[in-house]
Amino acid sequence: MTLSNEALAALVRADSVHKRVYTDPEIFALEMERIYGQAWIYVGHESQVKKTGDYHTTRIGDQDVIMVRAADGKVHVVYNRCPHKGAKVVAEGDGCTGKFFRCPYHAWTFKLDGSHLSLPLKNGLEGTCYDPANPDFSMKAVARVDSYRGFVFASQSAEGPDLKTFLGGVASSIDNLCERSPVGEVEVAGGTFRVMQKSNWKVFYENLHDTMHARVTHESSFVAAREEAAALGEMPFELLIMDGNGEPYEFWEKLELRAYHNGHGYMEGIFDPTAATRDPVSRDHFAVLSDAYGEDKARQILGMNRHNTIIYGSGSPHTVFQQFRVIRPVSVDRTMIEIQTFRLKGAPDAVFDRALTYANLINSPSSNVMPDDVEVYKRCQEGNQTRGGDWVSLHRYLGTDQETPDGMVSTNGTSELPMRNQFAAWKQYMLNPAPTRQRQAQEKEADRATA
Amino acid sequence: MQLLDRTFDVSTVPVSGASLSAEAVRRVEQFLFHEARLLDERRFAEWLALWTEDGRYWVPRFHDQANPFEQISLFWEDKMLREVRVRRVENARNWSQQPLTRSAHLVGNITIEGLDAAGHLIVRSTLQLTEWRIDQRQLAGAVFHKLAATEDGGWKIVLKRVNLVNCDDVFANLEVFI
Ligand code: FES
Ligand SMILES: [Fe+2]
Repeated sequence: MTLSNEALAALVRADSVHKRVYTDPEIFALEMERIYGQAWIYVGHESQVKKTGDYHTTRIGDQDVIMVRAADGKVHVVYNRCPHKGAKVVAEGDGCTGKFFRCPYHAWTFKLDGSHLSLPLKNGLEGTCYDPANPDFSMKAVARVDSYRGFVFASQSAEGPDLKTFLGGVASSIDNLCERSPVGEVEVAGGTFRVMQKSNWKVFYENLHDTMHARVTHESSFVAAREEAAALGEMPFELLIMDGNGEPYEFWEKLELRAYHNGHGYMEGIFDPTAATRDPVSRDHFAVLSDAYGEDKARQILGMNRHNTIIYGSGSPHTVFQQFRVIRPVSVDRTMIEIQTFRLKGAPDAVFDRALTYANLINSPSSNVMPDDVEVYKRCQEGNQTRGGDWVSLHRYLGTDQETPDGMVSTNGTSELPMRNQFAAWKQYMLNPAPTRQRQAQEKEADRATA
Repeated sequence: MQLLDRTFDVSTVPVSGASLSAEAVRRVEQFLFHEARLLDERRFAEWLALWTEDGRYWVPRFHDQANPFEQISLFWEDKMLREVRVRRVENARNWSQQPLTRSAHLVGNITIEGLDAAGHLIVRSTLQLTEWRIDQRQLAGAVFHKLAATEDGGWKIVLKRVNLVNCDDVFANLEVFI
């Protein structure tokens, strides 16, 4: 059974959503087709595949894919499937496959762009349609691949907006992350954490700009940090980054929330940017950027103070602490988060040290912060399985947000605008009346093959 | 940042041998058993008191990780951060500790490895840890303790390194000390 568009449309109201969007496996399967089958999804950063043959495996929705560096220096994204009997060609993780891929089952081989190279004992295929040029004998490439300043995205649909257009207003967050390097480049460094959450993927996106939860969910964490600071008589960086969640409601109300088309957005930073130029690490960073860009530009770069940015379907880059939390749906009630940390090429080492500490202390599975988020996400998932009510509220400051040419801006930092904006995008994707663009593309290709 | 002070010696490879009497070895073993028991019984204040002022608690994120300065770690905590963790875990609004994590440490295969450059005793043990919080979880690994002798003939922890067999796994949460 496939849900009708009428049924899907009825799940999203202006001020609330039906809890089924978080709990129904059928809706999850449709999301994999209609959202993850169409949108540009972050695959990985080019620095994860530095040399020819280097690969990084990941997922676009429910699809296992490989990001790989080919001999011509280009990055390709192919499905992790051998066209012979379907075996996954490489094991999960990062590695180097050398000059070509070789399937571990019957040794069919493929060039680094996935195209067929050879197979053993060709004689046996004589008189069949075996043809290295026929796509049936190649690993299939994902329809579109593009990179924005080293951040590789892929779309399973041959049609739709280009990457830059898709990113819209949040491309500036990636720009800012890169510009924090004096040479304008970043690289994934220091390893990645992986965290599994027993909750639907959308819960995480909603939480990213949910300013109302910080004081409540993280009370044990910021209170502990404040008690420790009081005992020490100072508030070092390690405690300061935990303390931020404890700001009073008036503080959160003043923040600006930006919402862009396609479900994206960002929120303003929760740490004072001028405090940044007062501490020695930021002063050194400022000096290096001033040399590279001039003082005005350096001030502008470090003054762009954003907390979480949302790239809907991909995850959340954090510019100030050089992080990308990549959000991968696993099933209707399981979501995996991969936390990448970036080194700003050419920036002082102490800037990376801070990013490392932030990753360890705020977003790691063993931090004092993240476990409480994971707990409340799980409680949402479990509560929504009960018969205790059907609707999830998105009412806060409904109707007060202001339109901008490319989206909306909140009039109050505790607005539930980000959630409403995400569901507007969700609805747009899910109601796409045509058979998914991915399927259209596949059909077109099949037609070409048989013509 | 003191936490990322690269002069802290994280190596657990001995630079010289250590000769201990059978009685002294037994006291070291009893110290490790006692440490594990304090964690199991959530006697965190007493556990915190086992450490030197400068002591570091480390659970690497990678097998054979060289140090906690260039790469992320599951835990890399000095006195201040250990105290913060205890304060949080004991706060009444610690949502993710409701219910509490219950644990049983089994410490075995204890060997005296030798001394580090500063003369601290390096002790290796194998850990089997059963945890209960909603689901049961097993954690296991090799643990290295670097111990400083105290004036009264006891020990304090300078470094505790826990090499989890699945340090590179996907985790849900690791909230209490391992
Ligand atoms: S499945 Fe890959 S060669 Fe047979
Ligand atoms: Fe949170």
